[in-house]
Amino acid sequence: MQAKLQKTQVKSPKVVSQADWLVARKQLLTKEKEFTRQRDALNAERRALPWVKVEKQYVFDGSSGKLTLAQLFNGRSQLFIKHFMMGPGQKQQCVGCSLEVDHVEGILDHLENHDVSYAAVARAPIDEIEAVRKRMDWHFPWVSSYNNDFNYDFNVSFKPEHMTAGTAVYNYQQGNPGMEDLSGDSIFYKDDSGQIFHTYSTFGRGGEEFLGIYRFLDLMPKGRDENGPHHSLADWARPHNMYGKGGMVEATGRYHAPGCACAVHT
Amino acid sequence: MQPQLQKSKTDQPNVVSQSDWLAARRELLAEEKEFTRRRDALSARRRELPWVKVEKNYVFDGPNGKESLSDLFRDKSQLIVYHFMLGPGWEQGCPGCSFLGDHFDGTLVHLNARDVAFSAVSRAPMPQIEAFKKRMGWQFKWVSSNSNDFNYDYHVSFTKDEMAKGKVNYNYGTRGFPSEEAPGLSVFYKDAAGQIFHTYSAYARGLDILLGAYNFLDLTPKGRDEVTLAQPMSWVRHHDRYENGYTVDQAATYQSPKLASDSCCSHELPT
Repeated sequence: MQAKLQKTQVKSPKVVSQADWLVARKQLLTKEKEFTRQRDALNAERRALPWVKVEKQYVFDGSSGKLTLAQLFNGRSQLFIKHFMMGPGQKQQCVGCSLEVDHVEGILDHLENHDVSYAAVARAPIDEIEAVRKRMDWHFPWVSSYNNDFNYDFNVSFKPEHMTAGTAVYNYQQGNPGMEDLSGDSIFYKDDSGQIFHTYSTFGRGGEEFLGIYRFLDLMPKGRDENGPHHSLADWARPHNMYGKGGMVEATGRYHAPGCACAVHT
Repeated sequence: MQPQLQKSKTDQPNVVSQSDWLAARRELLAEEKEFTRRRDALSARRRELPWVKVEKNYVFDGPNGKESLSDLFRDKSQLIVYHFMLGPGWEQGCPGCSFLGDHFDGTLVHLNARDVAFSAVSRAPMPQIEAFKKRMGWQFKWVSSNSNDFNYDYHVSFTKDEMAKGKVNYNYGTRGFPSEEAPGLSVFYKDAAGQIFHTYSAYARGLDILLGAYNFLDLTPKGRDEVTLAQPMSWVRHHDRYENGYTVDQAATYQSPKLASDSCCSHELPT
């Protein structure tokens, strides 16, 4: 694997003196500071979005029984939901969602002490979720929306008839997303009287906010280095326990372990 | 713990119908997409920076003996160094760096797959680093620059002289700084001939992008919720120090961790 990566050449570097480097670095710093402030301003706009009251009573399947949306707040007033791409019976684990949630365990203590609860939700039945959780050694809350409309209502799962008719909605656009389940992140707020509000959702490249690894890679000489075949993280990301063990990833991000003989390979 | 947090109120929410929300959300989406592209462009500019050849042969103390800067690359051509604020004699690492440190382990296997090696570097001697790393349960590579000039050359440690004058060279300018150690991140490249180049360093809020937890908080109604705090990150604790009556002192300013020798019982760390 490494030999292949080493082939990627960085752009012909311009090697200069420390003094010349500093001049260039200070120019870039001005741009970076501008960007930091633009980001602060965008975040303020995100929080200025109006809210929508959640009227349905969503009940999820958890590892030890039923849990309502209100219970997922777990005593806090803010809830972050990761819509994990995993439909019923789906054996091929999504490498993008897996990469995203690998970022979470280390920061949960901090989020939970800053009034934020976190949970992943997938449409697969809870038994299938538990099998993946165990294999990946993940400990964050992860529940199943198999028995409710949550995934459809928040536009991360799509009914076949809506896909065929091109009336499914993903990332705020109508069309045929091409897959029954896609990735997203949603935020909810619960007030003192127990009312729940939907405040924010993001999809597509919006999810890059939660891929901290891209902040690191973006600083490296080679950058993200996604040169095909998919020109996305599907080029290189694997479930964290499968690096160097072969297999393949579809453009959709679904990982097929070595020896997989499903229809994709014929 | 929770009741104290609940006191922080969100702005008066504007509750609307689903269709009105969608209109507002779509407007914001256009700005978000613009922002994503600006970030792509800035990242491209970062990679266009010229490089500086590293002429010194830095030797660090690692968990199993001496390791050169070149060794830290292992079989990779790119190296990230996180300049972790842990000075000689400190009883524990800086809480902000520890918050950042909580982000590393989950992504390392993925970074390694992208031709990137990682190491934290601190000026504290190795036994002190090892003890703190063990307490925090971290797995990432961490070496000591106690016996070389690395920290001074990359402007994350300051001499007694500089501290006495109240002027240090940090984040590409001259300023006062409350501690002898400062946070930073540096990037190095090693070519096939073994030459090492310094390609990038960031300091201060330049490190904000590495705090993934902020990316989560930034989207929640309360945001970072630091406006009323004298120091933005003063709500942050070491991840093993949140328990039992966690409260936030709004007036708290940055304090360097105490020297272990200053406390009467250095084995029992105050929260």
